[in-house]
Amino acid sequence: MVRFEDVGMRYGTGPEVLRDVSFALEPGSFTFLTGPSGAGKSTLLKLVFLAEQPSRGLISLFGSDLSRLRRGDLPPLRRRIGVVFQEFRLLDHLSAFDNVALPLKLAGRKDREYRHDVEELLAWVGLGERLNDKPATLSGGEQQRVAIARAVVAKPDLLLADEPTGNVDSDMGERLIRLFVELNRFGTTVMIATHDRALIEAARAREMRLVDGRLIEMRGTL
Amino acid sequence: MSSARSSRILPREQGAISLDLVIGVMAFLASLAAGGVLIAGRSASSWESGLAGRLTVQILPEGQAPLTSEVDAALAVLRATPGIVYAAPLSDADNLALVEPWLGRDAVIAALPFPRLIDVTLAPGETLDVAALDQRLKAVAPHAVLDDHGRWIDRLRSMANSVVLSAGLILALIAIGTAATVAFATRAGLAAHREIVQLLHLMGAQDRFIARAFEWHYFTASFIASAAGAALGAAAFAAAGGLDQVGLGGVSFLPPLVLPLRELAWLGLIPVAAALIAWATTRISVMAALHEFY
Repeated sequence: MVRFEDVGMRYGTGPEVLRDVSFALEPGSFTFLTGPSGAGKSTLLKLVFLAEQPSRGLISLFGSDLSRLRRGDLPPLRRRIGVVFQEFRLLDHLSAFDNVALPLKLAGRKDREYRHDVEELLAWVGLGERLNDKPATLSGGEQQRVAIARAVVAKPDLLLADEPTGNVDSDMGERLIRLFVELNRFGTTVMIATHDRALIEAARAREMRLVDGRLIEMRGTL
Repeated sequence: MSSARSSRILPREQGAISLDLVIGVMAFLASLAAGGVLIAGRSASSWESGLAGRLTVQILPEGQAPLTSEVDAALAVLRATPGIVYAAPLSDADNLALVEPWLGRDAVIAALPFPRLIDVTLAPGETLDVAALDQRLKAVAPHAVLDDHGRWIDRLRSMANSVVLSAGLILALIAIGTAATVAFATRAGLAAHREIVQLLHLMGAQDRFIARAFEWHYFTASFIASAAGAALGAAAFAAAGGLDQVGLGGVSFLPPLVLPLRELAWLGLIPVAAALIAWATTRISVMAALHEFY
């Protein structure tokens, strides 16, 4: 599903933020990415969801070597990935419903085809009454749930989340992790960057630890 | 994916009103230039067709007034020439009407050394040996000057061509200005919506989809703004026509600044052209900007 071989990454002429990172995510796996702040977790996720290109090394995604792909080949790969951004990145001028429906709209699906699914998903994350509310009127936790709903609505092959439970209480955190586990059971490969030990213990999944840009520890089974 | 659906992904941006205003003004100026072309073209061809098949003979004054004997002799030569179907001297009233635009209604032409003018009409399609006719006229009326209007028609044609060329250049400049304005606005719009564009890109939106959202936005905005500008231009021509009808027109020897309905309809092409320019400019600008993303 995802394979990194000796990947290094630096921004401009700055120091390397990732060094000689090698790992593989097998299809259907569930992995936590942990490590102190500044260790390179977000950068690693950016490389996986094709926001950045590595400075060196090889990355393959869904069986394709990224260095051999043309720019025009990337959008279909991106549509197979759901991302929960740390800063949510909701579109402020769209309602919660339209934000969640965005990946389906980009995939060319019609409003009447997905309306029910989107409403059901928003109800599941506790926002069934706030479908038409804009992000600015939602709390941080509510915005996070909209961001998560948007990432999972198209049932992506790969789900990446950067601190997805950072703004919600423990009950909602558990509820959200159950959603990720459920998606994983249906075949979605999941990778979550988090500091939340409770979340890691609850899911009892594989853990990759990054320190100073190096992958120093891998724990658990695939 | 339809443009209507992709367009809803972008918010209405700040500063859009000033862009609409600029495009509206451009369209207004374009409609004035286009109207000028139509009026110049129509006037030149009507003057040209009015003068074709006509000659004018002037009997210049000998002292204070032209010699009546020379006028009669010239008329006799003209009427005897095959191909000429009409030859008659202009009346004093006709002469007064000719000088009125320059000298005013109360011009006292009797007190002026005014030539006697003979209006000559040829049979349709007839061409005369003008040099030979001039020689025969000179023989009986030494003060006769034959004018076949050739120089005047050439100058008219050249003036009309100059007006059309100038207006064409003005239209081209307006098109370039509109394209540059839209390109600038698109880049500003992309900068203002960079977050949204980047997010759509990361979510797997094709460049075409993102470009279409911008294209649709600027296509409709340009169409509406330029339609308003062109309508204002059409209203200006209609108002000029109204003033002309109540006798408050411009200079009487220049054509009236009036566009009939079927010529006004040509101004309807201005919003279409402006919208297409905006569409093409936006596509080029957005696609270039999107290529900055991985």
